[in-house]
Amino acid sequence: MSRRVVITGMGVVAPNGEDLDSFWSACKEGRSGIAEIQAFDCGSFSVSAAGEVPKYNARPYLPSPKQLKIMGNNIRFAVGASHMAMEHGGLLGADYDPERFGVTVGSGLVPTDVEELGDAIAHSLDDDGKFDVSRFGVEGQRRLYPLWLLKHLPNMVAAHVSIIHNAQGPNNTIVTACSASTQAIGEAYRVVERGQADLMLTGGADSRIDPLSIVAYSLLGALSQGDRAAEKLSRPFDRDRDGFVLGEGAAMFTIESEEHAKARGAEILAEIVGYGSSFDASGVTAPHAEGRGAAQAIARALDDAKMSPEDIDYISAHGTSTVLNDRMETLATKTIFGDHAKKVPMSSIKSMVGHLIAAAGALEAAVSVMAIRENVVPPTINLEEPDPDCDLDYVPNTAREHEVRAVLSNSFGFGGQNASLILKEYAG
Amino acid sequence: MSTRRVVVTGLGMITSLGRGVERNWTGMLEGESGVRRIRRFDSTGMEVRIASEVYPLPHVPQDDDTDQVGLHARFAYIAGVDAWADSGLADGGADPDRVGVFLGSGKGVADLPMLTPALKAAHQPGDFDYGVYMKTLAETYALERRELECYYQSGTYVAAAVDARGPNWVCITACAAGNHALGEAFEAIVHGDADVILAGGAHSQIDHMSLAGYGTLGALSDRNDEPHRASRPFDRKRNGFVLGEGGGVLILEELEHAKARGADIRAELVGYGNTADAHRATDPHPEGICAERAMRQALSRARIDRSDVGYINAHGTSTAQNDSMETAAMKRIFGPKGEAPPVSSVKSMLGHLIAAAGAVEAIACVRALQEGVVPPTINYENEDPVCDLDYVPNTARDLKDLSYVMNNSFGFGGQNITTIFKKFE
Repeated sequence: MSRRVVITGMGVVAPNGEDLDSFWSACKEGRSGIAEIQAFDCGSFSVSAAGEVPKYNARPYLPSPKQLKIMGNNIRFAVGASHMAMEHGGLLGADYDPERFGVTVGSGLVPTDVEELGDAIAHSLDDDGKFDVSRFGVEGQRRLYPLWLLKHLPNMVAAHVSIIHNAQGPNNTIVTACSASTQAIGEAYRVVERGQADLMLTGGADSRIDPLSIVAYSLLGALSQGDRAAEKLSRPFDRDRDGFVLGEGAAMFTIESEEHAKARGAEILAEIVGYGSSFDASGVTAPHAEGRGAAQAIARALDDAKMSPEDIDYISAHGTSTVLNDRMETLATKTIFGDHAKKVPMSSIKSMVGHLIAAAGALEAAVSVMAIRENVVPPTINLEEPDPDCDLDYVPNTAREHEVRAVLSNSFGFGGQNASLILKEYAG
Repeated sequence: MSTRRVVVTGLGMITSLGRGVERNWTGMLEGESGVRRIRRFDSTGMEVRIASEVYPLPHVPQDDDTDQVGLHARFAYIAGVDAWADSGLADGGADPDRVGVFLGSGKGVADLPMLTPALKAAHQPGDFDYGVYMKTLAETYALERRELECYYQSGTYVAAAVDARGPNWVCITACAAGNHALGEAFEAIVHGDADVILAGGAHSQIDHMSLAGYGTLGALSDRNDEPHRASRPFDRKRNGFVLGEGGGVLILEELEHAKARGADIRAELVGYGNTADAHRATDPHPEGICAERAMRQALSRARIDRSDVGYINAHGTSTAQNDSMETAAMKRIFGPKGEAPPVSSVKSMLGHLIAAAGAVEAIACVRALQEGVVPPTINYENEDPVCDLDYVPNTARDLKDLSYVMNNSFGFGGQNITTIFKKFE
């Protein structure tokens, strides 16, 4: 008999709010966190806006400032979000069994810190200005900070979080791009369900707001190149959408077995009842046109939850604001939900925070829990003129009071890896 | 409902010794080292100039498209399609919706030559012009280099090749990832999320930045003049690991599914343990408390006694810290030499394949169970007082009545994974 799994704490670091309350308020008010990039000057490059969390300070959550030297932005966000989740769950300093406490996060490539590399590169060039490996070996390499590699290993997010909170149980890092944190939460759910741990810190953290990521995504045609105001660029399901806007941040959850939560008298925020994952192959960067894999992930999550589409009251969409995704996602939703599709509100907070890649699904799961808690669904902002191919109820521009007992939260990866979660109002 | 059992029905691998399980298995039994001076690029001047490279690189069908296939994705593809063919499933027999892919996979950290023109244009002493950097990058960055997202590429290439539409993910729990993917795939099949999973790992980090990065951490052997002798797990004169690369994929299949199609069953996966040190980002716990607990968890999941384990395929990296920590942890469970089962590390021959290590080592475990022989730890010459178990030094050994073998992988950052395989009867 598999165990029931509940959510008891949440911590969020988002472009439109650096804690859960301010993030959720911003989402309900339709407030965007997307602005011109502050971290560096993009010059005349065609993309210069993002959902940044500028100058995030993780120091209050660390025993010593020394550790900051080996923490990239994604790790700092995760450290902050984890602390807040533990605090929210009443677990900070609590007497839990570390051996039954694990960590599973979605993370990804940590961008190269170019300022850090600049000096090493400058000393590694031959007379024609080309990179010369032997010069790098002799001159360049020693200009690197000796522990710099540690900033670039994706598993260091989970490693730091486990060290700070003494989590000695199962520890995993999923790196499937846009679906990474939805899969991480799904995997953590499975770990608790089968009894390998009683308590997990899970979610995702990412930061791709760096020159190379922006240039590369931009060349792939994935980023919005529009010349609107920054906060108007991310417009999922709108006819004039032209790509996503990069965001950064983290969302972390404490999830535990129902039994464990009850035994310590924790407040249960919601229950995780379904998880599904799938793959559809159709090239490396384009989703399957009809959303075969997306539909399969949704169907598997429903099946896992033993629920039917009519049981779902709100869909937290992947809704990236790219032409391809939003159309595909609409089709996949119709495939599974049939006539019911038009009756279920489905919104995308990426309109307000941008696309946090490996952290996106975790932020969307946080919104899903809050929708259940408050019976409010957040809007898709900037939805001014719907695309005729996107004809569902996307909660345009204004949050809505709506009775929410169960939520489907979707993430569809760039490479065809898809994942869906179902969260439900807890009833003992 | 009775518990679903998980068996191994296909194997595929590629390492510095070559492509194919038999090529690798024969090489391992003969104690062949794949470590050489680096051939992929000129490493003159670098502190570490040796590695265990796959050379030459195998061609994959994607090379004919515009994609540039990352090395990890290339190795995953080769190991995946070979394992798939080996299982007989390439000829049908599985519902694509019930076939998943779980891989541990990683890649190098940054491609310096690619970034150089932009870095050079933007860098001034004490200043960095991001606008110039981005503009130059956009002009010099080759679009087909889809480096930025490519961790997941290994999982997508394998799934696309065999039309696996089931659960699909890639994890990167550092050096434990390949074994981790096997453990999670095992649990997913038991749970019923899939009937067949292509599980294992693929990795390449043989590049300048990774060599420099691990080098400055003091993790790599700099025995550049004796490449074959550089990787020497448990030997007193070990001085770091040697970077290897490659991939290993095992076809894990639900027992009844395998029987129904008359599959050739090689072994059963029966145990899995997963813990974290929660100690330090830079070092393992010196006594391996949580490594020990991963082994105990796996024993308990397998419902066997420690005395049932006939062989341990060690993580055995050839670093001072890992090998003594691992020995201490094994001894606390299995007792001293004489009492504890033989232990060996094929990293002495293949180098350290990082996220792929646990997967190729699992293949060695399966072959050991099938053949009743275990591979040696080569270069074992000098006893270390803190490494005092039977490491099967230098020569393969017949162990005819093996019924259970244990596979250990410990990740940089503190992730500890143990799996247990059983002889299938």
